[in-house]
Amino acid sequence: MPLAWFLQNLVNGLSIGSVYAVFALGYTLVFSVLGILNFAHAAVFTLGAYLTYVLAVGEFGLNGLLAGATMPFKLPFALALLAGAVLSGLAGMAVEYLAFRPLRKRGADALLALVSSLGVALILVNLIQYLFGAEIYSFPPDVLGSLPPAILFHVGEGMVAMRTIQAVLFGVSLLLLIGLVWFIQFTKQGKALRAVAENPDTASLLGISVDTFTLGTFFLSGLLGGMSGTLIGVSFGLSGPYFGVAYGLKALAVIVLGGLGSIPGTVLGGLVIGLAEAFLPPELSSYKEAVAYALLFAVLLARPQGLLGKSAEEKV
Amino acid sequence: MEDLLARYGFLIVTILQQALLGLSLYFPLMTGQLSLASIGFYSLGGYVAAVMGTHPALAPLREALGFSMYPLEWLVALLASSILGVVLGYPALRLRGIYLALATIAFVQILGVLALNMPITGGAIGIFDIPQPFESRLAYAWFFGPLLALTLFFLWRLERSGTGRLFFSIRENELAAGAMGVNVTARKVQAFVIGCALAGVVGAMSAPLLNTWNTRQGTFDAAVACLAYVLIGGARSKWGALLGAALLVSLPELLRPLKDSRMILDGLVLVLVCVYMPRGIAGLFDRRRA
Repeated sequence: MPLAWFLQNLVNGLSIGSVYAVFALGYTLVFSVLGILNFAHAAVFTLGAYLTYVLAVGEFGLNGLLAGATMPFKLPFALALLAGAVLSGLAGMAVEYLAFRPLRKRGADALLALVSSLGVALILVNLIQYLFGAEIYSFPPDVLGSLPPAILFHVGEGMVAMRTIQAVLFGVSLLLLIGLVWFIQFTKQGKALRAVAENPDTASLLGISVDTFTLGTFFLSGLLGGMSGTLIGVSFGLSGPYFGVAYGLKALAVIVLGGLGSIPGTVLGGLVIGLAEAFLPPELSSYKEAVAYALLFAVLLARPQGLLGKSAEEKV
Repeated sequence: MEDLLARYGFLIVTILQQALLGLSLYFPLMTGQLSLASIGFYSLGGYVAAVMGTHPALAPLREALGFSMYPLEWLVALLASSILGVVLGYPALRLRGIYLALATIAFVQILGVLALNMPITGGAIGIFDIPQPFESRLAYAWFFGPLLALTLFFLWRLERSGTGRLFFSIRENELAAGAMGVNVTARKVQAFVIGCALAGVVGAMSAPLLNTWNTRQGTFDAAVACLAYVLIGGARSKWGALLGAALLVSLPELLRPLKDSRMILDGLVLVLVCVYMPRGIAGLFDRRRA
């Protein structure tokens, strides 16, 4: 096994895997607080990518309602990425308001919350299609400014190419992960959030507003979703308003692989799936999309609680 | 009347077909299990019928059997779906809660990738020129109508049988049912496999209707649509799937004047029904309201 080949796949796998992890953490956060999967998360991911595109490039496509419109300003990419993510966070809060809160207040079946979040996803995705059209958007190659497209490393006799965008993917994801862990572990708000996730009733008795923190969780989740949507969008292009669905399903595989509700598990799951896809032999590359789901099945069979999950306690 | 039937024939047949797919999810829901697998088995059944209807090696069999070839296709689809249903159901149904939904989503995705890559399924292009027994689309009601009636009759009997009551006992309280000696996993698999088999047969019936079969028949969106029929119609009633399919299939037709924005309204309807009609349309008729 040549070292260069190994390192190249490692670079590819880690950069995409870290984005999977960030995206999937959005599911994990909501799941650990509400015990529900937010199926609108993939739509927020898509929305984030489109918003950043508009803010950074300033133009719309040719066949949506806003065809031919131009924004009066263009933001530098880093700023657009942040603004897009914050707007996605607000969209995440809207999802909580529309799809989850009314059902939770009534103590409705968890299945219904799943369907209403799918309904919100349908609204968001079709709103994007209505406004932006169904065409492919791709970020211009100079979106990262004057940085070179790739850096080459000589390893022994071979070469390892690290695309600049891969470095951005990995760097931004790493910063987000560190920030998130710091927030949850070392701030007062993070402690309150953990209390709400542990037991909402006890938390509210201790004077923590469960509704506020749930809303905050959805904001964080949307922020992570929108940010990862942009990162994937810059790397592979925005192939239409439905491009988030495939990634959303893959992220579900990530969270099951790592263990539902576990933050370290989600990170590990994302990296494992990213690396597994990268190290897939080229002759099997047409099966790449199935790798994540095959791993999910293997985990369900061998270790249902996921790699780092705790096995579910039975409450009687 | 003739005009009306000719115009809405496809709509009527689609409602029957989609209602059957919704019912295939009602079976696992009887035990409280959320599955999204139906569309995978629908796709599988369709491929069975498409291959049996077009493969050159089977031409003599088709000549000899004539119209009876179609029931044979249904049977093969039923067997294939049942076997695969057991293989998928056992590992997934040992687990609780959301795992079955996730495992079935993964199953649908894997099936889609396989269909894209295997020569027998025609890859991305799919299979063309599947023989059609009827000329008008409305005539396919002769396929779907009796199957729907049969399924509803079966459900009516099942709900009153011991097996049906065991299913419901698991839905109401899995732990209590297990404590009473119900073999929870076996019953869940049983309900799941009945649903899989039904979806497979519906797929085998749909391949001639659509004339062509490809991987677009088994997408995540279609899986969600099936689930929406049951939940919008009412997840606790066998009529729910039919009511939900009738509403959701005709909604895009009714909203046609709105053109591109109609899917936005579709989503809005989904959310509003969940929030304001948690027991679905069938729940409105239920006198034993909680």
